[in-house]
Amino acid sequence: MKVLIVPPNSLILFDLVERFGHEPLSVMAALQERIENREIESPPMNITVDVVKKGLKYAAIEIPSGIRGRLAIYGPLIDAAEAAVIMEDAPFMFGCVGCARTNEMMKLLIHKRKIPVIKLDYPNNEDEAKAMVAKLKAFLEGLKK
Amino acid sequence: MIPENETRYIVLAPDSEFTPGQIARTIHAMNFDVIVKETCFGVVVMGKREEVRRLVTEIRKIDPNRIYTKVRGFPVGDPRRCRAHKGSRPGFAQLEKEWKDLVLIEKGLQCMDRGEPVPEIKKREKVPVKELQKICREG
Repeated sequence: MKVLIVPPNSLILFDLVERFGHEPLSVMAALQERIENREIESPPMNITVDVVKKGLKYAAIEIPSGIRGRLAIYGPLIDAAEAAVIMEDAPFMFGCVGCARTNEMMKLLIHKRKIPVIKLDYPNNEDEAKAMVAKLKAFLEGLKK
Repeated sequence: MIPENETRYIVLAPDSEFTPGQIARTIHAMNFDVIVKETCFGVVVMGKREEVRRLVTEIRKIDPNRIYTKVRGFPVGDPRRCRAHKGSRPGFAQLEKEWKDLVLIEKGLQCMDRGEPVPEIKKREKVPVKELQKICREG
């Protein structure tokens, strides 16, 4: 099954989803298509008119362009997802995935799809990590049935 | 159009007994048709999608709980993103944080392999309003 990961560029989630037998949907793969197939000077920063149009499908015109631009990339992933794994409070939710409003909007769009979703807390110690991996494994194995 | 090439990070957990150099040499010895670049946290490999996925399956067998992978958007050594050309690159802070925490994930995977009981975790709660008021008054 295609499983969307949030944060969409997480190494831990990408690896675990793949390890437990599913196809992770990540932003890296979405950006690779832009980087390799288009003649853009400094991807993925540059956007085209088509990207703005795509973003409008997921966010209204009055929503800041940064959110709309990000959703133009995340939106098709949400549409393609058959399940989702959301890691709450990941400390690295800054930088290129650091837009808090985009992340909120992304979670809303995922919930609207009514696909199976699991919410995990970012582990800060061994016990939390054990519980997180066990919870994720049980969820992903349940998807296969 | 889905690109037919794939670039992958192969990240070694901090407590791995292997070095990035050893992993790079092992990949070379496996004779896969891929480009391999050694980095401080592991290796980056690039090649045809099927070839890279076969490689990932094989390399994971060496140390399953301490070798992690994820796809990378940019090709190996891309001048638009490579640190050799541009200095510290965006996104590395995140990779570094997750790399440090792979030790914890490894413990989780070991727990699953051994069939150990999973510890119960109490959900982190918000500070009650009265407590917060007390803290404010003390301040």
